[in-house]
Amino acid sequence: MERVIFDAAALVAIVFAGLMVAGRDPIKNVLALVVSFFALAVTYVLLLAPFIAALQIIVYAGAILVLFLFVIMLLNVGPERPDGIRRPVQTFLGSLAVVVFAGLLLGMLRTSGARLPAQPEAVAVDALPDPRALGRLLFSDYLLHFEAVSVLLLAALVGAFVLARRENAP
Amino acid sequence: MTFVDGAIVVLRVVLPALILPGLVIPLVWVERRVAAFIQDRPGPNRVGPFGLLQSPADIIKLFTKEDVVPDSTDKFLFLLAPSLAVFAALSTFAVVPYGPTVRVAGKVIPMVGADVSIGMLWVFAITSLSVYAIVLAGWSSNDKFSLFGGIRSSAQIISYELAMTTAAAGVVLAAGSFRLTDVVAMQEGAFRLVPFVPRWNVFPQAIGFIVFFVSAFAETNRLPFDLPEAEAELVAGYHTEYSAMRFGSYFLAEYINVIVASAMTATLYFGGWSLPGFHPEGWLGGLLGLLVFAAKTAFFVLVFIWVRWTLPRFRYDQLMRLGWKALLPLSLANLLWVAVLAIWRGSR
Repeated sequence: MERVIFDAAALVAIVFAGLMVAGRDPIKNVLALVVSFFALAVTYVLLLAPFIAALQIIVYAGAILVLFLFVIMLLNVGPERPDGIRRPVQTFLGSLAVVVFAGLLLGMLRTSGARLPAQPEAVAVDALPDPRALGRLLFSDYLLHFEAVSVLLLAALVGAFVLARRENAP
Repeated sequence: MTFVDGAIVVLRVVLPALILPGLVIPLVWVERRVAAFIQDRPGPNRVGPFGLLQSPADIIKLFTKEDVVPDSTDKFLFLLAPSLAVFAALSTFAVVPYGPTVRVAGKVIPMVGADVSIGMLWVFAITSLSVYAIVLAGWSSNDKFSLFGGIRSSAQIISYELAMTTAAAGVVLAAGSFRLTDVVAMQEGAFRLVPFVPRWNVFPQAIGFIVFFVSAFAETNRLPFDLPEAEAELVAGYHTEYSAMRFGSYFLAEYINVIVASAMTATLYFGGWSLPGFHPEGWLGGLLGLLVFAAKTAFFVLVFIWVRWTLPRFRYDQLMRLGWKALLPLSLANLLWVAVLAIWRGSR
């Protein structure tokens, strides 16, 4: 049962990620990405990480992509039109990258023997791991990383503020 | 899992999802009668006793009217958006405990859809998705008023979600858990220092409660924050181009959101189904707990209606200033205060 849902969600995530890249209309692309993120969140739940799943939806689907939509709508970006120019070098490099990446993925899958974590018999929804454990880990073993990321975010915030501020603002 | 267990799970999850939209029918009537009372006029009182059949009549009208889809719209998204709104409104309730855990005939039945460890996060995840319903309606309508409504709403919901989430983080910190049943459990009984006062979060976290409740108005697009559909400037905002039941679904979603926001306020700050000195036993206790929860929720729903017909609409810059310069700092101060309280409690 879990396996079926996982495979379905993974398939949806990959298909919609593909649609996001291939689509011509920016709004539709963002929506495809939303669906893809949602499907990813489902796979996180099945990998026994409900907290990450919730964050995935709140932060990516709920905040970042809404801002994407906001900007696209505000700038009124229309569908992209093909300009009819051939780009042989780019096409070649792109295909090469796809082949190399697919090879890497396949190799990793073969060596790691990818499968779902061993499920305890019939995991009840109520018995999934606690977000508390993640918090403990974040503020003990990974404290330095955590602080480094927070400083990085602060720098980004200050940078955005400086860039957006008008010269003669009070 | 036997058949009975399966049936119980289905009932726990499906019943609320069926009852919530059903509650909207009397709620619309209550809203119109209370509005009339506040404005000193009779309100709907002709259709059926006390005008009670007015809402069913309106619903039949909405379902039988022609569903106009303008030619210039993006058909797929235009048709999808209203159902997204109802989906987001309904699925939020899945983790809210609406009654105590009861034991009937040897079966333990927790009265909550899904008692997950990320309950509170689930609520915020789904409410943050509800913005898509409005933004997509605005964009796919291909109409400047709709687009303005959609853009306003996305900015408004993101801004107020910050303050709302930070205020609710205070409750998480006090309860030490995202699980909403834990949040209710920690509010049972009375304070040790001040007897007879229920241990509700609203007392230590009054500021957090105010921020949460004010933000809830913005999140549900209710007056005084209904900028996305401001009639005076935007015709009807994001749902200008909608007709018949697709238009109705936005109203359905709004009223369900009001009920869910009230239920969340009751759960986070007013002890949910619990009362001091109330220890539910058997199915009768379960029923009483359900009634207590319903009464608290109904109270906040009435406050929602009361505020709608009392305060005028905010201007857009006032809305943003209130969200970012008043509510967000207040919610951070609340979080700091709760942290101090938690350390003080831990040190005793």
